Amino acid sequence: MHEIWGVAGLVAIALGLSLMLSDSYALKVVTWLSLNVLAAIALRFVMLVGELNIATAAFWGVGAYTAAIATVWLKLPFGVALVAGIVAPALLAVAFGFVTLRTKGPYFMLISFAFTEVLRLVYTQSDALGGNSGMIGVYPPRWLDGTYASLVVLLVGACLVGFLWLERSAFGKLMRAIENNDAVVASVGVPVLAIKIAALTIAAAAAGLGGGLFAHANRVISPGDFSFLVSVYALAYVKIGGEKHILGAVLGATFLTLLGQYVLSFGQYEHIYFGGAIVAAMLIFPEGMLGLLQRWGARLGLVRAPEPATSRGGH
Amino acid sequence: MERAQILHIEGLSRRFGGLTAVSDLSFEIYEKEILGLIGPNGAGKSTTFNLITGVYRPHTGKLTFAGTDITGKKPAEIGRMGLVRTFQHGSILSELTVYDNILTGAYMFVRDAGARDRRVRETAELVGVSEMLGDLARNLPHGHQRLLSIGIAFASRPRLLCLDEPLTGLNGSEIGHALAVIQRIRDGFGTTVLLVDHNMHAVMRACERIVVLNFGRKLAEGTPDEVSRNPEVIQAYLGGGIT
Repeated sequence: MHEIWGVAGLVAIALGLSLMLSDSYALKVVTWLSLNVLAAIALRFVMLVGELNIATAAFWGVGAYTAAIATVWLKLPFGVALVAGIVAPALLAVAFGFVTLRTKGPYFMLISFAFTEVLRLVYTQSDALGGNSGMIGVYPPRWLDGTYASLVVLLVGACLVGFLWLERSAFGKLMRAIENNDAVVASVGVPVLAIKIAALTIAAAAAGLGGGLFAHANRVISPGDFSFLVSVYALAYVKIGGEKHILGAVLGATFLTLLGQYVLSFGQYEHIYFGGAIVAAMLIFPEGMLGLLQRWGARLGLVRAPEPATSRGGH
Repeated sequence: MERAQILHIEGLSRRFGGLTAVSDLSFEIYEKEILGLIGPNGAGKSTTFNLITGVYRPHTGKLTFAGTDITGKKPAEIGRMGLVRTFQHGSILSELTVYDNILTGAYMFVRDAGARDRRVRETAELVGVSEMLGDLARNLPHGHQRLLSIGIAFASRPRLLCLDEPLTGLNGSEIGHALAVIQRIRDGFGTTVLLVDHNMHAVMRACERIVVLNFGRKLAEGTPDEVSRNPEVIQAYLGGGIT
């Protein structure tokens, strides 16, 4: 419980800091950073049941297109557009999960990858959705001028606290139990498939919110924004930050987003430096930045040393 | 004395390719008894177990649990009805704490958080892991891991508890402790127990009745005394020549 209040406090501090910013570039970075955090924690939430959900990008895209349609075509209020962008991918996730989460091993990951790319191709072929050039004019309402970044921080922060609360609840423990040994969990009567579908649906709703916020931050969306790379970057944030705790995803997303802004100045070599940083991080601190901090803390006698890495295979 | 049946197995068969693992197997488990299921390696014990708990579908036969036909039902459905099992290997949630392990077993059966906490602590006490509730299950000694796997299953307070080789790898005093736990579960809660194990001596000691399998068929059935004097059983275990 203290932990959840602590994270809520961090969110409040971040929100306060974002309200003090006025530089438009800084506000943009805060928005991108927060959205990257949301993608990372949405991806990580499904990792708790032991599945790598590449379709995080797909649900992100469905949320973005749905919210954009609501705003641009239907001229619905911003709040309604965001909610539509949450509900549509959540419903899609129920159907998608019902079919695909029965598989064992790497198949869910592969199917979710294929699903993401298929949806992206559908956008490019759909004239109604603007084909390759996508949709334009996805404006946030006037009253959010200057405070849009803070709204993103607030909503992402709420998701962060919500995800942590769920993870610590009995439901969250059941999710980790399923990741650990689903046969044992099923033997005591737990409907494993239903729990996995619920986890996927919750994560898809959060990803959809991210997509809606992304669309209104960017004002323009196109199919290329929703390729599987969105999930690959999110995975990098989780892995580099440290996957044991949700704050690892925050740390990883923050570090890599800021690094990404810096390496932009390297022009075409950007991706080389970015990729190099990821490889170096995994070699130097395999438990992520959080594991590294914990090790330093333990040396100073502040916290307990991390448990030795487990022998089970990761993603 | 006629006792009520809790599980009725009739004409159960299962083949794997050309191999018939279990063939036309019938026996009953009576309420509140501890029934042993024994047999040489490859006799079909594990297959029988997996058929009873819904992991495999039988090719023929019928399973009736507490008056309900459970043939072809899924493991989780059967578990919710009160027929719960442990597994031979890796029957614990190694990356979770002992507390969360037992909590998983109680999850579907106790909705209230306070009652669930009491259920977890009571179960931990019963199987003897209450000193280590906060430890990761994988850090427990082997003997305690075995007891924990019984704890996960029993946290659901099943009507029929099926234990698949719970004594493997335990030393003498640990076996005594595990058998005492099984006894306490039966005596204190009226739970029926199906016990499969290789440790003949322990099974003879713990069970009132024993079913012997060989080559997927029932070879003998009776009290430990009757079974251990049955010439066919002796032959199956020791090979021909000794009668």
